[in-house]
Amino acid sequence: MITRPMTAAVLVATAAAASAAAGPLQVSSSILVEARSAAPDGTTRVTLVKPTKVTPGDKVIFVLAYRNSGAQPLANVVLDNPLPRQIAYRSANPGSPAPDVSVDGKTYGSLATLRVRSPDGSTRAASPNDVTSVRWRLASPLAAGSQGQFAFQAVLK
Amino acid sequence: MSQHGGKSGRFRRVAAAPCLLTCILSTGLSQPALAQTPAVATSIGTPAGTPIVNTAGLRYDADGTAQSTSSNTVTIIVAERLDVALVRDGRGAVVVTAQPVAIPFTLTNLDNGAESFVLAASVSPGAAVLRTLVIDTDGDGLYDPAKDVAPVGGKTPLLAPGQSIKLLAILVATPEGSATNAVLTVTARSTTGSGATGNVYPSAGDGGGDAVVGPTGALATVSVPLGTALAGPVLLKSQSVRAADGSQTAVRDAVITYTLEARFTDAVTGARIADPIPLGTVFVPGSLTLDGAPLSDGADDDAGRFDPSTAQGAGVTVALGRVAAGSSHTVQFKAKIQ
Repeated sequence: MITRPMTAAVLVATAAAASAAAGPLQVSSSILVEARSAAPDGTTRVTLVKPTKVTPGDKVIFVLAYRNSGAQPLANVVLDNPLPRQIAYRSANPGSPAPDVSVDGKTYGSLATLRVRSPDGSTRAASPNDVTSVRWRLASPLAAGSQGQFAFQAVLK
Repeated sequence: MSQHGGKSGRFRRVAAAPCLLTCILSTGLSQPALAQTPAVATSIGTPAGTPIVNTAGLRYDADGTAQSTSSNTVTIIVAERLDVALVRDGRGAVVVTAQPVAIPFTLTNLDNGAESFVLAASVSPGAAVLRTLVIDTDGDGLYDPAKDVAPVGGKTPLLAPGQSIKLLAILVATPEGSATNAVLTVTARSTTGSGATGNVYPSAGDGGGDAVVGPTGALATVSVPLGTALAGPVLLKSQSVRAADGSQTAVRDAVITYTLEARFTDAVTGARIADPIPLGTVFVPGSLTLDGAPLSDGADDDAGRFDPSTAQGAGVTVALGRVAAGSSHTVQFKAKIQ
């Protein structure tokens, strides 16, 4: 019987968190998985759906959908997404601009430009497994009412 | 010291194929100890029930002022992947006799959650009878009836992700004797569920998420051929490992004790046991024994010798000469892993 009041409390907290993000720039974060189904024309259609059963090794897609709900354009828009510790970065999702990535949370760039320092002081080229954070910058101001989305693929460690 | 030394010799670990004595002379029965160690990939991954929490940060300029906020927070719960591995510690057919023989297995929980496993063992009708399937509590490969007991309710205790335990199937020859070869089948299956990969058991996972059958089907089966009572001589080879820390881990400088038991149903002459030292190991000088008595390494007047350069590399040979019907002789030697 303790369960019901607790569930209610969680729902309230979730609603509060959603409203905290209210502002001219709204970003909705979601973690999705690919679902494959046979299309009528015989091809396989891939759609992104909410996951019900993600296990280690599964591919997951992080989607950040953004929208300027205000009346003024917004300049210098930056979205950054520190990766959960259990998540290994793979690549930009097809159709999404590639993010700048970081292996230390400070220096961002394309993966090929980054290096990882080993405990012995030597460095090596960064691999997707080294990525700890991804970031996108909008090159031009985001007009009022316009929207878009970024997405990247990752794997559950 | 030999793992066999401290216990009754009645329960002998059998780790290699029986072989007609003549084949000892020409074929290398030895497998490198490391190659026999079951190699199970233990990439278990994030534990079941772990919440994966994601929030993105936002920065922008509005009316010339820098603003920052964050996205909603999304959480997914890692599901439990049901997977298991069951590997026999050894290879080849096993000869069963009137004395109980213990056949060792390693069960590994490849699940990303804590899981128990339902065990089953059976023997097809024929030369052997299954006495019991037990958990080898101390993992030494030897049956100790006081400690090694059958799992309660046919299930193992909960094993942590990646944890392994040792099992022993105890068999004896069919009392009335049978010439039919039998097969021992041992299975282990996740208690939560098993079946086709991808099958979902809703809310059955650790931490309240779903449990999903992994690539192994959450079921593992091992079959072991069981030999009939052979008419000719038989050589049984077994091994035990003792590392410097007292464990049985096959690491560098660990000492492997090899035991070669030759059983003769009929009297023969000129019997000779030869065994190469496995690759990756070096013979421990002075460790060769015959029926418990030391043999010198040199080519002198006792029955055994260590030869560093036989056709198959370094090896030991023991000349048994004339042996009586119904007798058995045991040769032991030690090798150190390099």
